[in-house]
This record gives sequence, structure tokens and C-alpha cells, in this order.
Amino acid sequence: MVDAASVLSETAWPLTLLLAWLVGEYGFQRLRLPRICAYALVGFALAPTQAGFLPQAQSPTMVLLANMAFCLILFECGYGINLRWLRSNPWIAATSVLEASLTFAAIYGLLTWWGQPMATALLLAALGMATSPATLMRIVTECRSSGQATERLLYLSTLNTVLAVFVFKIILGWAVLRTSGNIFAAAYGSLVVFGISVVLGMFAAVLTLLLLRVLRRCGQDSTLAFALAVISLVALTFGLKLSPVVATLTFGLWARHGRMVLNASQRGFGSLGSLFSVLLFVFIASRLQWDQVVAGLDIGLAFVGVRLAAKVLGIGLLAHPSGISWRKGFFIGLGTVPTPALVILVLEQTRLLGNMLVDQLVPLAAATLALEFIGPLLVQWALVWAHEAPAFREV
Amino acid sequence: MPLEPFKSSDSLSLGVELELQLVSLSDFDLTEASPDMLELLRRRPFPGQVTPEVTEGMLEIATDVHTRHAPLLRQMQSMRDTLVQAAERLNIGICGGGTHPFQMWSERRIFQKARFQEVSNLYGYLTKQFTIFGQHVHVGCSSADEALFLLHALNRYVPHFIALSASSPFVQGNDTFYQSARLNSVFAFPLSGRAPFVRTWKEFEQQYFAKMEYTGVVKSMKDFYWDIRPKPEYGTIELRVCDTPLSVERAAALACYLQALCKYLLEQREPPPAEDDYLVYNYNRFQACRFGLEGTLVHPKSYLQKPLGEDILATLRRIEPQAQALDCMAALQHLRKAVQQGSDANLLRRAMVEHGNVESMVHAALQRFCHSEPIRESVFTDG
Repeated sequence: MVDAASVLSETAWPLTLLLAWLVGEYGFQRLRLPRICAYALVGFALAPTQAGFLPQAQSPTMVLLANMAFCLILFECGYGINLRWLRSNPWIAATSVLEASLTFAAIYGLLTWWGQPMATALLLAALGMATSPATLMRIVTECRSSGQATERLLYLSTLNTVLAVFVFKIILGWAVLRTSGNIFAAAYGSLVVFGISVVLGMFAAVLTLLLLRVLRRCGQDSTLAFALAVISLVALTFGLKLSPVVATLTFGLWARHGRMVLNASQRGFGSLGSLFSVLLFVFIASRLQWDQVVAGLDIGLAFVGVRLAAKVLGIGLLAHPSGISWRKGFFIGLGTVPTPALVILVLEQTRLLGNMLVDQLVPLAAATLALEFIGPLLVQWALVWAHEAPAFREV
Repeated sequence: MPLEPFKSSDSLSLGVELELQLVSLSDFDLTEASPDMLELLRRRPFPGQVTPEVTEGMLEIATDVHTRHAPLLRQMQSMRDTLVQAAERLNIGICGGGTHPFQMWSERRIFQKARFQEVSNLYGYLTKQFTIFGQHVHVGCSSADEALFLLHALNRYVPHFIALSASSPFVQGNDTFYQSARLNSVFAFPLSGRAPFVRTWKEFEQQYFAKMEYTGVVKSMKDFYWDIRPKPEYGTIELRVCDTPLSVERAAALACYLQALCKYLLEQREPPPAEDDYLVYNYNRFQACRFGLEGTLVHPKSYLQKPLGEDILATLRRIEPQAQALDCMAALQHLRKAVQQGSDANLLRRAMVEHGNVESMVHAALQRFCHSEPIRESVFTDG
């Protein structure tokens, strides 16, 4: 006998992804809506707490897959970073530090003023610094945009994601120390995890390059080789409860500088990347709960507003000295709005935190929901207004 | 719009234009960076002229009017240094080369300027395909008839300039087996190739231009994409067959080779040009594009065949007196070495063979452009 209920629960995810893809294509063709907006919409609507089509139980497989999806994009970001630029134009790094610090201070200020506990405020402020490389990469690939705004958005998001994870880990360590008094547990949860992840990322890079050289596949398309290496690295760090985000970013950076040239790899990992992006954006939106969103609507929107203001200010202030117009600086500020806070939170397993944060996630739920839809649109408009992406699809 | 009168200028004065590539240092692909570059360059005085080109991955620079090799080279080096410095701040690489080895034309963006949009509407995809990079050399002429004389007298030397500047072996990621594949893209335009054989400006104006204008096909001289065309508003002829070389030193040397050659031709040391000279023109041009310095030339008067490289070396020797008078022996010396060592196209192919990927050609071009010295040991690790 076929058990209808089990068939339904097993096909719920694939069917949701298919539906998300369909809606995404329709929205893109007809309304020129970024595809990922539609993915998030479908994910949120079919979530267990909304329509209830997706299964209630959180499947570790889905978390792992989402992790892989996010980390593939992070790898590509790391691979795109040319460290020499940070040397030849120190204003880029300065802009990153300034906008991230301003964002951190602004969010922390807002949340403590709103009466949130200090630990929560600090952790959310750290996460709020990051701009989602996943959202940016998909939009940039989708509109084929290029220019200084595009370039700097990708660099700033990579840099502030690293900063966010680093600060997040330190605050986590501090929080553990404060509650348990165990300095070893505190250090392990933060700096040791960070350090080991970096080393693993470097190791993966050296090993992959060595393999490619031994196999003499250097001149050919190595997209698949890198994709598989990233997936393995994510599975390993995920299993060891380390930081997949840090490990894959390091892997990307190290792989690029070990060989100088990214040859003949497909941008965005081709179809594989597209498949994973449907999964990632549906998954993240499906983690949001309508009642949480409603409960934290005011604080969530304030969070988004304060964060946007801080980022626009931080990037705008240094736009001219860093070699671009104020106008472009402003649009870059607008483009940094998508947040990966929830992604990082879900993926970087906060088991040490227990349930401490879950109930206090309220501000993040509304902010994430708002930004899953508005973020991609803002990025797209910012790139169009900066004249780096066509305003309409050229034939 | 009738043809404007030919403005007289100092005979044998020189001006050079170079179309340069803007590449992303993240992946070495062409990048739409000219608006950002121009915005940054506007902040300080530029030692020459810098203007946008039809797609945003291109930038054009132009020198002032010069009469001697040394100051011309100095200005070009100074423009180069300013550009390289600005580009570094934006994570952009800037380099020569007639084509970008692997850019895809469909990804190009037309620069926002009325004339470029018009051209794009007329020619469609050809405009984006026209993301190719050439060197144009202007030579001043004291009269319009002198300009037309030089234009035709130069016909047998056009292949020299193609072979010496050839730096476009790859197009859209594939080896074309040409030394200069760029000129094939120019040939796609309906009004390209050689100019009609007309010897006086009056004849040109009344017999040719007026008729062409009447047909409605052309509106101004800008609509002609000839290998050499008169430029009445500057009082010059403009040689347009050169790929942008990988270094400004090569570009300056080519300009001064043209200058000395024009002086030689103006001294009436060769039989005057004739319509029949053009019987072998397209064949010779093809040989230069396809085989570069290893091509074979057919002499337009004697029909004798001669290796192109050898013909260049013989010409360099023949015009030494003129070069000495113009102070450009260094330019001739540079080109003699180039004939012996091989063209820029060879240098790019060598990078490809050594490292096995198309990106390494862009890397080699970047190194060559900013350092102006033989390419250093490469940093590529794979092989």
C-alpha cells in the first residue's frame, strides 16, 4: 500500500521548488521582478506555519543543502576578490570598516533603546553588518551588470560578511563566558572555530589546485571540480560544527591567489548555481513565521531603516576619496541592504546558544521578510540607476 | 551636408589615437568601465585627450600634434602612466591588443551618447562586434592634393603597418589563426576597404563625395571606414589599419615609421601611384592579416613576390636618411627589432601555449602595457 501522507511529505520540497521556479520565471519575464523575490514569496507562503504545505519537522538534509547553496556563492565571492586592489586603493577597506562599524553601532543603539537585552542586541548588531552576497550575486548575474557599483557591492558584501561572522563569534564567546564562566568553552565557540575553519579552507584550496594540476585539467573548465570541492568542504565543516561560511570564503580567496586566474569557469556555477539558489531562497523564507513577523513589525522596520541609513552614510562619506562619484556611492549604499542575517544564524549552528535567541528573533523575522522581497528589487534598481544594468532587457 | 574644405596643416606633423581595453582584474574579462574611468580622470588634468568609445569596455586616447619621436613618446608614456594609476584605484586593468581574446560581443553595452546610439541602431549587432581596438595615425598635409597623393602612394606599405602592429590572434575565446583578426571585423562594414582612386581634391569632392552624398548612403567623411581616409577638418590623412599594439613604445614607433615613409614618398622617389596598384591590394592586405611578418607580398608594379618581413627591413634601410632628418632613428630601430623578435600576436600566443588558458593572454597584455619592457617571468603556476 502506498502511504499517501508519506508520499506527500516526501514530494513537498521538490514540488515547492518547482512552483517557486515557475513563479520566478513568470515574474521575471512579465514584470521584470528578480527571480529570487518570487522564490522567497513561495517559500514563505508554503511554510509549515503559513499554508503548511512544507513539512513541519526541520530536515537536517535541507539545512545542509541550503548551506551548500550559500557557500557556493561565498566561494565565488572569495574567488573574485583581488587582494591587490585593497592595497592599491586603501579606501575600499576603509569604507568597509566604516560602514560596518556604523551599522553595528546604529543597530545596537536601536535595539538597546527598544529594550532588548544586551547580548541579543550585540549579536543582532553583528549579524546586521553583513550584506547578503547570495542576493547580490544572483541579481548581478541576472541583470549582467558591471561597473564600479557592481564591483564594490560584491567586495563590500564579502568583506562585511567576514567581519560579521568574526564579530558574531567573538560576541558569542563573550556571551558563553558570561553565562558559564568557562573560558575554554568560550574560546572554542568563537576564536578556535574561526581559526580552524580558516585553516580547513586553505587546506581545501591547496588540495584542489594540486589535484587539478596532477590531472592536467588546468586549461579546461574547472567549474565542476570547484563545486564538488566546496560541497565536500561544507559537509565536513557542517559535520564538525565549524564555520562553513568562513571556510568556503577562505577557500575561494586562497584558490584564486594560488593560481592567479579563474579560467573558464561558469559564472554563478551555471545551472547548478541556479538550482541551488532556488533552494536557498525558498528555504530561508520558509523559516519565517507570520506571527513573529507581525509581532516584530515595528522594530523590524526600524531595524531595516537604521541599517540602511548607516550603510548609505558610511559608504557615501568615503565615495569621493575612494575614486567614485557621490551619486554612485549613494547607489552602492542602497544596494547593500539585503541581509543574510537569518541565513548565517541558521547555518552557523548556534547550538551553544541553545534557545536563547530563538524567542528574541522577533525583530529579525520582520526585517528578513521585508528584505527578502525589497532587497533584491532595491539592488536591481540601484544598479539600473547607476547605469550598470540595462533598464529593460535588451534583445 | 557638403564636404568641408580641406584645412591645411604642417606637412608631416603627427597625431596618434589609441583605442584601449578596460578589463576587470577579478576575471580578466572586458568590463564596462569607461564611465567610471572618465569620471575619475576628470578630477585631474589629463596629459592628452581621453574620450569614450562606442562600447563601455573601450577608452580612446589621443596625443597633441607632434613633429618628433621623443616628445610624442614622452606624451604617450605620460598618458599611459596616468591611466594605469587611475585604473588601479578602480580594480581595472588597461591594455592594448587589437581584440580582447575572449570577451563575448553580446555582453557589451553601448556608451550613452547620441552618435553611438545612432550607429548602434543602424548597424545592429555589428556595433557591439566592433568592440575592437585600433591605432589611428594622423599625418599632416599642406594641401588636399598632397593628402590624396600620400593616401594612394602608401597603398603598397599598408601591409607593413598591419603586420607590425598585429596583436589580435584570438576572437571570442578561439584562435583565429590570423595575426590581425581585428581587420576582418572592420571589413564587415559596407564602406570599408580602400578609398576610390581619385588624385585631386576637386575631383574627390565633385566626382565622388557629392555623388555618394546624393545617393543618401553617406552624410560625412565619418561614414567611411577606409584603411586610409582624408580628414579635411584636421588637414590630415588617417591610417586606420593598425591594431593597438601592446605597448605605447610600439605605437609611437609605428607613427614615426609612417612619418618617415611619407617624407620619402613626398620626395617623389617612387613611380607615382596608379589605379592598377590596387589589383594586388586586397591580397597583400590578407597576407599581412593572416600571416603577419611571415606573409608574402606581391609588388604592385613588378608583381615580384617577397617575404613581408624582408620587405619591411629593406624599407627601413631605404628611408634612413628621412628618419635621420626627422630625428626618429630610434623608432626605426625599435621596429627592426620587432621584425626579428616577432609580433605582439606571437607574444600573446606564446602566453596561451605556456599557460593553457585565454586569461593568461590578457595578463601578458596588461604586463606589457604598464611596464614597457619584455614580459617578465610569469606568475602563472599552472601549465
